[in-house]
Amino acid sequence: MKTSSIKKITWVIIAGTGLLLAGILNGCVESQKVAAKSGVQLWAENCQRCHNTPSPNSFSHDQWITIGMHMQTRAQLTEKEKEKIVAFLTQ
Amino acid sequence: MAQIIACYQQSKHNFMRSSQISIRRILLPLAILTTTTVANAQQTTVVDSALLQRVAALEQQVADQKPGESHLMIVGLTTFGFVNSKTTFKPGDGTSVVSKTNSLGDADRYELSPMFLWRHGTKWLIEFEPSFDGNTLGVNWANISYFAAPGLTVRAGYFVLPFGIYNKRLAAGWIDKVAPDPVGIDLPGSDFGVGISGGFPLGSMKWSYDVSLTNGLQLLPDGELQGSGITDNNNNKTVSGRFALLPLSNSSLEIGVSGLYGGVADAGSSYNNANTTMLGADLSFVKNLNPLLINIKGQYSVIKVNSQNYVESSGNTLYSFDNKSTSAFAQLSVRPVSAENKLLKNLELAFRYVNYTTPAQSLWGQNYHEEDIGLDYWLSWRTVLKFTYAVSHSLSTENIPAGGTGGTTDMNNMYLQFSIQF
Repeated sequence: MKTSSIKKITWVIIAGTGLLLAGILNGCVESQKVAAKSGVQLWAENCQRCHNTPSPNSFSHDQWITIGMHMQTRAQLTEKEKEKIVAFLTQ
Repeated sequence: MAQIIACYQQSKHNFMRSSQISIRRILLPLAILTTTTVANAQQTTVVDSALLQRVAALEQQVADQKPGESHLMIVGLTTFGFVNSKTTFKPGDGTSVVSKTNSLGDADRYELSPMFLWRHGTKWLIEFEPSFDGNTLGVNWANISYFAAPGLTVRAGYFVLPFGIYNKRLAAGWIDKVAPDPVGIDLPGSDFGVGISGGFPLGSMKWSYDVSLTNGLQLLPDGELQGSGITDNNNNKTVSGRFALLPLSNSSLEIGVSGLYGGVADAGSSYNNANTTMLGADLSFVKNLNPLLINIKGQYSVIKVNSQNYVESSGNTLYSFDNKSTSAFAQLSVRPVSAENKLLKNLELAFRYVNYTTPAQSLWGQNYHEEDIGLDYWLSWRTVLKFTYAVSHSLSTENIPAGGTGGTTDMNNMYLQFSIQF
């Protein structure tokens, strides 16, 4: 690998890590309006960004937990969004 | 006196008799009550014992169960349909040639992809999706993710690269609003590597990141790029990532920017430090404006390979061109989700415009555009029947001296497609 390529990759990684750390530090900054959202509201808002909203009885309790993780990797849901949506779908 | 005594004895007798009757009246129900209570008590003891045994057996089953054993689920999708196609090719200096085809199992429109999701507790997730496209049995993704912390998921394996929104989120047949995929949007596809991703709130907004380090793309002899697939073609690695901002508190609007950089030449090839830079922007807006659900999607990508010399098809002469491609699509769909009529509320009307420009003076140069109009009927939230009519026009900008072909190609395609997720 050429030195210039290594430098470019290094800078990109550093920049990405910096953004990530900034994000983590900002992670707790959440407005009261967003914090007060219910699972059903987040379900209605987020699922339809890509596909139709599924009904809670489409999958079992255990399956919804798995799907919540899968959706986190696909759509980068925040941790609280995932928890509230899965809680609504499994109640 | 004798009468008094007789009267006393009669009274005593009556009293005794009356008392005996009263005692009987009291004792009989008491005896029945006592018997019933004892019987019930015995029955309760029996039921409790059986219940305890059953609970103990279940506890043992739970104790014997290892994490992950019951957390394997199989979902997936299948898409199939029919396409009727009319192609008119008009060479630069000749007469038009018209060809008509129709197919039930066209490779671009057929897919059977079971997806295996296997979680181990709530920290590990394996995602594996083999796929049969009508010709080959391939793999869309096979990776493991570790949910390290809120907003930090680490993954490794073979996965869809974070670039744009179409390939990772919208390509599935039961999600896509029109039957065909947008032309030119397939890169960078899937690759082997590692990556991190996550999402965070930002006041009333939120943002997300998705970054990966992978083997990278491969530069073909004619200057085209393709996913390197299973075999890594060089020692360079490719960095790619997408950052997105959702500026509205209801998450209806998402704006994303993507980038990719990496070496693309085969190890030992004659290319001069060949590398590619890809930049992209995407937009998603989904809003329920009663009674319509408005869905807008768009993506624009630029793919550039640094200056190289390519070998003509004759194998003797070198030629060069500005190896820059652009691809874009814009899509609008509307669905009257709040309509009272069931038939109407399950209908969705979709439009898509596609533009794809590949390098002029290459052997694959063209200016292509396509317009799609589709009418979908949703049988359930994950089952759809689509009718799409697509018109496309391609103007060749190929390098004719190097072996290319000029002319124009017009296509009219009619699709009838069924897609289901299960």
